[in-house]
Amino acid sequence: MQASAIWQFSLDSLHALAWGGPLLIALVVCARFVPLRTLVISTTVVTLALVMLGAYVRLTNAGLGCPDWPGCYGKLSPGLAAEQIVAAQAEAPAGPVSLPKAWKEMLHRYLASLVGVMIMAIAYQALRGRRRVDYYGQMTGLGLPLALVFLVVLQGLFGKWTVTLLLKPVIVTLHLLGGMTLFAMLAWLSARMLELSAGPPSVLRGIRPWALLALVALGFQIALGGWVSTNHAALACTDFPVCHGRWVPSMDFDHGFYFLRELGLTAGGEPLSNEALNAIHWTHRVGALVTLMVVGFAGLKSLRVRDLHGYGMALLALLLLQIALGVTNVLGSLPLPVAVAHNGVAALLLATLVMLNFAVNSPATFRR
Amino acid sequence: MSVSVQSPALSSRLQQFLQLTKPRVISLIVFTAVIGMFLAEPAERLLTASFWWAAIFATLGIALVAGAAAAVNCLVEQKIDAVMARTRARPLPMGTISSPETLLFAGVVGGVGLTILHVLVNPLTMWLTLATFVGYAVIYTLLLKPLTPQNIVIGGASGAMPPVLGWAAVTGGVSPDALLLFLIIFAWTPPHFWALALYRKNEYAKAGIPMLPVTHGDRFTRLHVLLYTVILVAATMLPFATRMSGMIYLISAVALGSLFLIYAVRICVDYSDALARQTFRYSILYLSLLFTALLVDHYVRF
Repeated sequence: MQASAIWQFSLDSLHALAWGGPLLIALVVCARFVPLRTLVISTTVVTLALVMLGAYVRLTNAGLGCPDWPGCYGKLSPGLAAEQIVAAQAEAPAGPVSLPKAWKEMLHRYLASLVGVMIMAIAYQALRGRRRVDYYGQMTGLGLPLALVFLVVLQGLFGKWTVTLLLKPVIVTLHLLGGMTLFAMLAWLSARMLELSAGPPSVLRGIRPWALLALVALGFQIALGGWVSTNHAALACTDFPVCHGRWVPSMDFDHGFYFLRELGLTAGGEPLSNEALNAIHWTHRVGALVTLMVVGFAGLKSLRVRDLHGYGMALLALLLLQIALGVTNVLGSLPLPVAVAHNGVAALLLATLVMLNFAVNSPATFRR
Repeated sequence: MSVSVQSPALSSRLQQFLQLTKPRVISLIVFTAVIGMFLAEPAERLLTASFWWAAIFATLGIALVAGAAAAVNCLVEQKIDAVMARTRARPLPMGTISSPETLLFAGVVGGVGLTILHVLVNPLTMWLTLATFVGYAVIYTLLLKPLTPQNIVIGGASGAMPPVLGWAAVTGGVSPDALLLFLIIFAWTPPHFWALALYRKNEYAKAGIPMLPVTHGDRFTRLHVLLYTVILVAATMLPFATRMSGMIYLISAVALGSLFLIYAVRICVDYSDALARQTFRYSILYLSLLFTALLVDHYVRF
């Protein structure tokens, strides 16, 4: 690619029209004709699908399926760029470019642009809601919708840099975390629209710090998980619970957690050692143990509050499922559906904790 | 109105469709586009057939697309039109033309217009006209108008495009001079529209449209009419400053602008609905005469 990796924008004008036209129609429909509550909740669901599709793209190594951005060789779809893709594949048969990979990457981009438009429609309705008397119009507030717009644009840029800066682990991890944050914020907005609330304030006081602590712990654990995935460290240890037969394998934290480097290389350009990958992998396991305890405790506490019973059950079930998926990833050499599910359940845990936090901060006395 | 809606004769039906295209608005659009065409070329070019073919087909194409945009606007705003006295008698709120008919009509008319522009004029003009259509029918009508009191300021960009379209039609490109014409209409739109909004404030409020007098009050709007008129008069000095136009234009622009400023100052200090109505009418006359002056000046230099 000729254009600078940071600033490039490749899309032929007619192709931009064929992409932008339907997006504009979607924007108008979502902004003017979809009720706000439906819009917020469907955006949350589509964003979950987008995050999981992103994980699928990463796990199938399809992230560089199209080497430019936002078009594929400047075209709207891989089908229209088939000539260049076949040529690139013939030149480097083991390279990152192939038609199926290009399709996966482009599907992620189409869905992402739709999420972007849906979020802009939410912001539109929130802005308009300021002047309107109807109740839902004023429920979103302005801060969260505008922050969502900012973040989704940033996510688009990180998605582009993921491609143009060739899968640097720190960029890919930030892209993943941005997606999770977007999803969490949408879950919070959904909770607002659904008017989630919980029992009397006296009961909630005891659980509030635990719900928050669980959310923080889960956040760290998702970041660690992202770091494992983007460094391809999921199979650094193939046994469980020990790693290479030892509880504490030989590890190199200095290189494993040095952020500004290429994929698979140290900052100095040497191949990343197994010890470094061990360190990344092992830390995620320790994180899992801590998360299990903290989130598990929050789940158990929720079980005891009548109004929060559902959250408690969901948290504990998702937690056990997530541990099982994680262990299966290690023992079964990362089966694709399991690996994608590990990402999806992480997102669901996050949404559950976000909604729990919303509920425990909205005492039932304010229920309408 | 005592028009029979039972079995409208063909001629009255055609009249209804014609009404859908807002002919009075289109005539101003076409007028500014045509002037853009003439200003784009030196007098010698008037003797060439290629200029006249481009001008004729571009005028036709732009008028058709503008009509389609107006029809889409009528379609989207039929509920609002039904509430406002000024627009209650339009065909859609009256029920003489249905929504699908309007959509089909707009699609055919707009499609024919764009095809003419693409095939018989040039692709650039077609794309710019399409962008103007989308800007007006979708971005302004559907998104901006119900959202913000800055609706007409931003949406004014679509209304300011015609001279640029005319310019592109005959020259195949867009020059800085064309952008000056754009700037003049862009600056003219807010005082023109807000003068109307001032004396129709209650109707806009009833229709739920956040026009500036509704959201920020009369005083604020009156001040902004004045401020934008100052901007407008300053913008109209630019064609002379860049030597695009000469003394005839300058004298006309100063005279017309002074009168507009007098109206704007009076609106600010001594408001009445009748005065706002006069100002609105004058703003239309102002733009027509200003562009006429540009045209005359283009051919008569001393």
